[in-house]
Amino acid sequence: MRHPALITGLCLALAAPLAMAAAPPKADPPAAAPAAAPAVQPEAVAALEKMGKYLRSLKDFTVHADTTIELVMEDGQKLQFPGTLDYKVRAPDKLQLDLHSDRKERQMFYDGKSLTVYGPKAKYYATVDAPPTIRELLGTVESTYGIEMPLADLFLWGTDQAPTSALKSAARIGPARIDGTVTDQYAFRQEGVDWQVWIEAGPKPLPRRLVITTTDDPAQPQYASTLTWNTAAGLKDSAFTFTPPKDSHRIQMVAVDVVAVEEKSP
Amino acid sequence: MSIRNLTLLGIGLGLFAGTTALMSVSFDVEAGPHARGGARTSVNHASAPRGGGGGGARAANANRGGNANVNRNANVNHNVNRNTNVNRNTNINRDVNIHNDIDIDVDNGWNHGWDDHPIATAAAVTTAVAVTSAVIGSIVYSVPPSCVTSVVNGVAYQQCGSTWYEPQYAGTTVQYVVVNPPG
Repeated sequence: MRHPALITGLCLALAAPLAMAAAPPKADPPAAAPAAAPAVQPEAVAALEKMGKYLRSLKDFTVHADTTIELVMEDGQKLQFPGTLDYKVRAPDKLQLDLHSDRKERQMFYDGKSLTVYGPKAKYYATVDAPPTIRELLGTVESTYGIEMPLADLFLWGTDQAPTSALKSAARIGPARIDGTVTDQYAFRQEGVDWQVWIEAGPKPLPRRLVITTTDDPAQPQYASTLTWNTAAGLKDSAFTFTPPKDSHRIQMVAVDVVAVEEKSP
Repeated sequence: MSIRNLTLLGIGLGLFAGTTALMSVSFDVEAGPHARGGARTSVNHASAPRGGGGGGARAANANRGGNANVNRNANVNHNVNRNTNVNRNTNINRDVNIHNDIDIDVDNGWNHGWDDHPIATAAAVTTAVAVTSAVIGSIVYSVPPSCVTSVVNGVAYQQCGSTWYEPQYAGTTVQYVVVNPPG
């Protein structure tokens, strides 16, 4: 007979704190209200689409980016590496990219017919045939040569390769200044990434800062870039043509094999 | 097998083979931290299928850090130049590959790899500089500083004693493939 009583007592003892614990949420609706806001705010999506449309209207521009990238060590520690990159672009079929960091330098030249990758220190260059547009080029370098073009989004926003249907949440955070320019900060979530973009206010809705958090690694490494634009650069053809410097050597570029595909599963 | 053992094995082989190339394996394999992955540098993937709605933005290149562990090189051994012991080294490629995630960024002081995607450039890797330097077809990310550039029939090689390497870009990373001496 003692046992039922004991159990009942225990149940009561357990139930009381549970009941108390369960109570606060009921008392909390006002505090929880902000979370009830739409996960995808139409206002934020509209701003993204407006930016993409404006980017697609640019035909001749340069953009400089001050960047930091984080690498995750095997023990979870993150290391950060600063760098810069400079795109020279003439839509739809010419592009030149300079990458600099304290560890690496590379140049890339694309003239609508071929792509050349050059390492100024080792003085090796490789030239391969390339598709006729920048957008196709980006896909090729990624799928054929295993190169994730940094800030490829600049060329993809406003196209069907950056579908807003992929957004799991979208929110306007508020105004912010980037290098003295008034912007609006927005936050988005997609599969594998949380990201933020600061869009210039006014008639030129340019992305002025972009932060991408990779969420499919528990350490969540970030890539951050602050962008400086020249939307009427007046670029010459020579900007996109690679002329081998003296003492440089042409070497082969090998295509990636099926490795990346095999490794998707784990 | 631990990296430390690799180093010792490499030195042992170096002494046994009596070549300076093999000796150079004693570079500090244990020094650097090992990267497992890095941040994405774009929200969207350029190679994603077009018109695919519904969050299909991640396509072919979803993977990054895992690239580092693929050994496609080691078993090409024809034992052209060296002793048969070299075969044993295939066991430890994995350790060395991981190390390359960091060192890959530095060519002779700084130049390997795509600035913003050093991990993916570690795909289809390699082994320590000189452990299998004699194995035709093996791939390394750097060559000993004593090597010289030799252009034969318009192809640039790195000649390191009797061992010849042909540089090539894998992505934007320069890697060196051990080749037979060009004729």
